Amino acid sequence: MAKIIGGFAISHTPSMGMEYDKGMANGFSPHWQPWFDGTRPMKEWLAKMKPDRMVIVYNDHLNHFDFDAYPTLAIGIAPEFRQADEGWGLRPFPSLVGDVDLGWHLTNKLVRDGGFDLTVCQDLAIDHGIYSWMPYLKDTPWDTPIVPIAINMVRHPIPTSQRLYNFGKSIRAAIESFPSDERILVVATGGMSHQISGARFGIANEKLDRYFLSKLKSYVQELVDLPQEELMRLGGTEAAELAIWFAMRGALTDNIDEVYSYYTFPAITGCGVIAFEEKG
Amino acid sequence: MSNSIPFNLDPPGTYIYTGEMATKGYKLTRFGLSLRRPDNREKFLADEDAYMRGAGLSDEEIALVKARDWTGLLQAGGHLQAMLKVAATLGQNLWHIGAHNAEMEVEELMRLCPRKVNALPGGEE
Repeated sequence: MAKIIGGFAISHTPSMGMEYDKGMANGFSPHWQPWFDGTRPMKEWLAKMKPDRMVIVYNDHLNHFDFDAYPTLAIGIAPEFRQADEGWGLRPFPSLVGDVDLGWHLTNKLVRDGGFDLTVCQDLAIDHGIYSWMPYLKDTPWDTPIVPIAINMVRHPIPTSQRLYNFGKSIRAAIESFPSDERILVVATGGMSHQISGARFGIANEKLDRYFLSKLKSYVQELVDLPQEELMRLGGTEAAELAIWFAMRGALTDNIDEVYSYYTFPAITGCGVIAFEEKG
Repeated sequence: MSNSIPFNLDPPGTYIYTGEMATKGYKLTRFGLSLRRPDNREKFLADEDAYMRGAGLSDEEIALVKARDWTGLLQAGGHLQAMLKVAATLGQNLWHIGAHNAEMEVEELMRLCPRKVNALPGGEE
């Protein structure tokens, strides 16, 4: 059966992607150089881990879906996932590679056994939720197929933290019943502290973000038990995206090593990354 | 508006995007998201009024867009991610929306960011 070898969580922002393109062409700005430097060890770790597949829990920002039909939980099942035009054109990157077999297996298990009724998307354009950080960690052509799972974070009600933590546990069970010898990483992306509308635009709570990073491995239930409104009040409305990280943590056991963690605040979004390896 | 950041989720500091807002701003949001397509961006830039009337926006909504009244558009239920596409099409960006919301010049907001706060759960009530 397939095996979960670890997981990581990472922030995403449109500017992270744009600054990558500018940085690789002309050198990084002083605001973004730390993030580029801080993600070098993650890139090396990922190359060392050599996962066969990555299951990536992320959020769309009204770039594929719209409010005619906005799913609370959706899974992408297709051979490839094109990049979404967010309103300012496409970046020079190829489509992401998908894994149809794993996608259907996860869907069958999560809907029938896990109690999570996913919307299945056989065409899914992916936005900066994945595209902004992927080039920091992987070279093209992309060589690790992914299964993307999108969580509604743009319109309340959003799923509760406990629900997403439980979702991660069901993802684990689903992966572990996949008949293959694949080694799989579970990834979450969102957050950290930021608010991009209202007069509180630009709020930056490094203390909250570092607190979150410090608790994710061994005290995750404390974080899960925090009301999402509290994360939003202290870290900005979009800090609610941190709840997505619980889906990754829930997919891992407690028998893990924290192998890397990094944090910086380039402009208007706290940017953090944390990686865990299963010991078993 | 000063740089002090209130630790609550009330307007005008924060606009929570609820179902009620989604219903109120359905057409505005749909209009903004139509600009994900390059051909629609061209059509909108060629004739803003005609494009917005075609999208079914009300006179009030059209006036808000014409005034680049980002705060008014959010209050009218336009989703930030959709209004961001309107701004981008018009040569503006997230900072213009944020500055309008915070009642500052863009340069002032950029100078103030990141707007550092330090509080853990239960703090700064």
